[in-house]
Order: sequence, then structure tokens, then C-alpha cells
Amino acid sequence: MLSVSHVTKYYDTVKAVDDLSFEVQDGEIFGLLGVNGAGKTTTFRMIIGLLEPTKGKILLNGKPIDYQVTDTIGFLTEERSLLTKLTVLEQAIYYGTLKGMKKEKIEERLDYWLDRFGMSEYKNRKIKELSKGNQQKIQFITAILHEPKLLILDEPFTGLDPINVELFMEVIREFKEKGSSIIFSSHRMEHVELFCEKLVILVKGECVLEGSLKEIKKDYRKKNIHIIGDVSIDKLKEVPGVLDVQNLANEIVVKIKSDKEIDDVFEVVKKGKNVTEFKVEDATLNEIFLSKVGEAYDK
Amino acid sequence: MTNKLKFLVKQSLDKKIKTKWFKIVNVVLLVLLIFIANIDTVVNLFGGDFNEEIQLFVEDQVGGYDLFAENLTNVASMMQSSQKYAIEKVNDISEYKEGLKDEKKETILIQILPDEGNYLKANVISYHEVGMISLGVIQSAINTVKETVAISESGLSEEEILALTSPAVVTTEITNEEESESENKEMVSSVVSLVIILPCFFLILMLVQMIGAEINDEKTTRSMEIIISNVSPKAHFLSKIIASTCFVGIQGILLLLYGGIALLSRSIFTSSELISNGTITSLASIMEMVKTSGVLDLLIQGLPFLILLFLSSFLLYAIVAGVLASMTTSIEDFQQLQTPMMLIIMIGYYLALMAVQFDGAVFIKVMAFLPMLSFLLSPVLFFLGQMTLLELGLSTLVSIFFTWVVFHYGLRIYKVGILNYSSNKLWRKMFHSLKNK
Repeated sequence: MLSVSHVTKYYDTVKAVDDLSFEVQDGEIFGLLGVNGAGKTTTFRMIIGLLEPTKGKILLNGKPIDYQVTDTIGFLTEERSLLTKLTVLEQAIYYGTLKGMKKEKIEERLDYWLDRFGMSEYKNRKIKELSKGNQQKIQFITAILHEPKLLILDEPFTGLDPINVELFMEVIREFKEKGSSIIFSSHRMEHVELFCEKLVILVKGECVLEGSLKEIKKDYRKKNIHIIGDVSIDKLKEVPGVLDVQNLANEIVVKIKSDKEIDDVFEVVKKGKNVTEFKVEDATLNEIFLSKVGEAYDK
Repeated sequence: MTNKLKFLVKQSLDKKIKTKWFKIVNVVLLVLLIFIANIDTVVNLFGGDFNEEIQLFVEDQVGGYDLFAENLTNVASMMQSSQKYAIEKVNDISEYKEGLKDEKKETILIQILPDEGNYLKANVISYHEVGMISLGVIQSAINTVKETVAISESGLSEEEILALTSPAVVTTEITNEEESESENKEMVSSVVSLVIILPCFFLILMLVQMIGAEINDEKTTRSMEIIISNVSPKAHFLSKIIASTCFVGIQGILLLLYGGIALLSRSIFTSSELISNGTITSLASIMEMVKTSGVLDLLIQGLPFLILLFLSSFLLYAIVAGVLASMTTSIEDFQQLQTPMMLIIMIGYYLALMAVQFDGAVFIKVMAFLPMLSFLLSPVLFFLGQMTLLELGLSTLVSIFFTWVVFHYGLRIYKVGILNYSSNKLWRKMFHSLKNK
């Protein structure tokens, strides 16, 4: 279990992270979200021991982060962190050995993962010769090669096509099932929604929202109503508590302040024709994110 | 942690040595060194105008032809000219003047004439301009003839003339018994010093470049974050320093080996032991000269200090280069930042050359105790007898202490620098990092 407790980090006089606390249980996928410069990278750097918190404590399975502990952490950075002049095998041996693995074990696991990602023929190719997507796969493989107890994934799907995104997700879920704690950061909220059970949203280093995804969505009162049919847009807009009405190609999306407005909207829909769908859904994480970040900036 | 340090050192060293470029460069270095050692042989092999004799026709009206001919050869030899001359005495050069244009060989007509006030004068006639060296040789030979004519007309006896013209006997006596009496000592010392300094100069350049490139590579690819999350910055820093120093050590030994092979090749390609400019061609001769001049004794006495001095200085340069590389965010920035360091080495190099010329210079001696310069200056001053063994030891201690201090504080900058990707307020950040423990 990873425990981040009241962590604050200053760069000179600039506060990068402000009193941040969260826990990631074994076998849990945790989302650390925020706009650029929110303090995500600083938090990651503190978790893997690159930076020391100015205040607060970070413990992994009850132990402070040191070089014994970091051997059990896998980190996939947002930017490519590969030595491009090395071959895939040399790169794996380099990072694997630094994680305390034996050469034979590294090669055995590398063969497995290369096969899994359909990249066996690239084993002895220089990394700079690979495409961006394949480099991302290699970076991911080097992060999971030592089967980490804590896996930190900063924008893991960058440069990947949908098929490979699916493959990555499958592997990440496998690690979750094996009991690894996973911290996940992405600007693509649909990915976060698919994965994360718990999350934190950071704005200017400060936590503006935290909790389980279900609770967050439940607590977030605004809802979306999806309608398929011929319904008057103007009349929908006139309903008190309707925030916005979007007339999309196949459906109408009505954004409402809270559950209370559902009946009023339904009354309008009943008067329409050819109605085949009336579905009430929680707001998307993207909407929650935009709303929370916007509120924080307004303050 | 020790295993990871060993691995990083090995990895870094392999990256430098186990490459085809290392092999190619070393083959090229060997070939070039052999070429440099035999460059005069190569020049001779391809020939040129210097191979052709210059024909001199001399009209002598003062009776000094034999003396002129003899002196011409001697002066040419003294001036280290490889030009050959064919001399012929003629009664009247005017007969040859018309035909100068058609001569296949370069031909010079010399007319030695009596001169009332100045004993003699000479006219030099040629179709093409006479080269400076040839003109100098002719001028010197004529001057000697003039001196001889003047002396013979002074009424001195033959014995007196011989006594007057023969060189004065100069004998040397050194009362300090501890000092070597070898007259070759100074020359050998300066040669040995330069043999040590020049490769060191190049090896330091190589060392600085390598550390800078490697650290920048890891920084710009962000692999530094992965590495530093698994090994401490101290281990990482040490691995770079040790690997680069080992590399230049290996390259230095190889250069010495290539130098030996180049000298051996010279012994094979040239028949004489000494060529005209006094350069020793045989390795055995060099060793003998080093031994008899007393330089070998000095080398043996000072060897422990010299090894420590070179090692600490190489480490010092590696540390400084590593710290500077950690601060920069691109190899271009590093190359700019390393320029002052290169100039410091240049200062050391020039001062080392000047030490031979300015015997006992106080400024040079003070500089010889300064770290970063001491490894270039102290050995030279020691071999020249301008620095005692004790002073060499002191210079070594200063260098070791300074290296430790720079490592101690440099590591603080390195820890911050390697994870810094912005040049904004860079120096402020680095000075601030000195306070972090």
C-alpha cells in the first residue's frame, strides 16, 4: 500500500504540492489528475524518491522511500525515457539490472513481453529505429519487467493506436489482479473512467477533489439526459434547472443541475414525437474535471 | 549499491570501448602516429625540387675557391638544408651568362672579386630568383672566405691564424654534486615533459567531452529519472567519473604503445640513429639518453606523486565536467560552458612550454601548485630541476584535497542539476543547491 500523507513540496518559494494526502491499496488503480503544472510530476518524483518532500511522509508498505523500496516501483514517464542509442535488449538489461534483476531473468521476461506485444523481431534493434508507438511499448515493458508492486503510469497511452491502448489496459488490469498498486495519470478522462477506482484532482498543487469514482459521480449533482426523438430544443431550454441542451447528430443531450429536474424534462419529452430513448446518466469525469478545475481557478 | 555502481561503470565503459568507432579510431591513431614519426622519410620518398642539385659556377679572382667550396657544404649542413650543390670553378662566368635561360638544372653564377676597402665582394647571377636558404648558404660561405682573406693579409703566421679561427674550448664544472652533470639533461627533460603533457592535454579534452555527452544524453532523454530512481546521484556521478577516467587511462596506455610502435617503425625505416635535426630515432637511444641524463632517476623518485597528481587531476576535470554537464540542458550549452575549462588547460600547456625558457620563473612555480594546472606544470618543473620532490608532493596533496572538496560540493550541485530541465535562474538554483546536504 502506498501512503502519501500531508505532503508539501516547495521549489524555492514556489509551492508545487500543497498538503496532499491519499492512499493506494494493493490491487487498486488510482488516478492522479490535473492540468499541466498542477503538481502531478512533482508528486510522482517524490513517490519514486527523486525529490524529497518539504513536509509530510510517503510510505510504501510502511517503509519510507529508499533505494531498496524503489526496486519494487515501476515508472513510466510522460516523456520517452529511453536511451535511444541502445538496442531493446540492451535497454532492458540496463534498466532491469538497476532494478536488481539478473541478466537471464531480464532476457526471459523481455522475450515474454515482446511476444505479448508482437514485437519479438525488434529485440536487437536500436530504439531510435522504432516508431513512436513501439518506443512507448518498450518503455512500458521496461517499467513492468521487474513485476513492480507499485506501478506509476504517467500518460501511458501517448502515441498508441486503439488496439494497443486496449492491450496496455489488459496488461494493467493483470497487474491489478496480481495485487500491484497502480497510479495512473492521463489527460484523457475516458481512459481514467475506464480504469480508476479512486482519484485525486490537483489544481496548482492543491487537492480539489478526491475519493472513489463512483462516489464522486454520485456526489456530483449535475446529470446528463440523453434523448433520441423529435423533441423541441427551445422547450427543453425553457425548463428551470436545465443548464445546456446540445443537439447532436443522433441524440439530444440535456445537462441538468440535479436529479430534481428529471421529471420536468420528461414532461417536455413526452410531448415530442418518435421518442425511442430517454436515459439519465451521471456527468462524465471530463465534465467533473472541467468543473472542479474551473471552480478552483475562479477562486 | 556497490553492484549497481559496478554495473553503471561497466555499462558506461562498454559504451565507449565496445564500439566499432573505438576500434576504427585506434587503428587510425596508430597509422597517423607511424606517419608522423616517419614524416620526413615520407617527404623524401615522394621527392621534389629539393632532390635536384643546384649547379654553382664560381669565378674566383681572390684565390678563395677551395675555402668557399668547403664552407658551402659545411654551412648547408649547419643550416639543416637538404639542398645539394655541385660546384665548379670557371675562368669567366660571362661565358655562362647567356646560356642561363636554357640550363635544365637551376644554375647560379658566383663571381668573387677583390674589393679595396672590404677585401672582397661577390656577384650572384641567376635566371630565376635564388631561394632564401641557398642565398644564405652562399652569403655565409663568402663571409668565411672574406674573414680568411682578411686574416691572411694581416701578416699573422699560419699557427696564429689557426689558433685565431679555431673554436674556443669551453669546459663546464658543476660544483653541486647532487645535480646531474649531464649536459643533455635540460633537453631530455623538456622532451620527456612534452611527451607526457601533450597526450594528457588531448586525453583531458576527450574526458571532458565524453562525460558531458553522456550525462546530457541521459538528461535529454529523461532516462536520468529512471536511473536516479534506482541508484543514488552519488553512485551515478561516481560511475561517470570512474568510467571516463578508466577510458582515458586505457586510451593513454594505447597511445603510449602506439608511440613506441611509431618509434620502432622509425628505426626500421631510417638507417641512421640520429637524423640531421638531432631527433633521436631509436627507442633504445632515447632510453639510454633518459637514463644518462638523470631524468630516469627523477622519474623513479617522483613516480608515486606523479601518478597521484595525474589521477587526482583527471578526476578533478571529470568532476568539474560532470557538474557542468548536470547543470546544462543540452550538449550545445555544455560545449559553451566547457570552453573556459579548455582555456585553463591551454594556459597550463603554454606555461609548461615556457618553463623551459624562463628558468626559475616565480609565476610559473606558483601556478604549478594550482589544481587543474599542477598536473601540467609540476612534472615539467620537477624534471627541469626547478621543483624539489617535497614541492612535488605538496602540489600533489593540494590537488588531491581540492579534488575532494570539488567532489563534495559538486555532488550537491549534481543532485539538483541532473533533474533540472530549465535554464531559468540556473545559477541561483545551483548556488542554492550548495547549501543542501
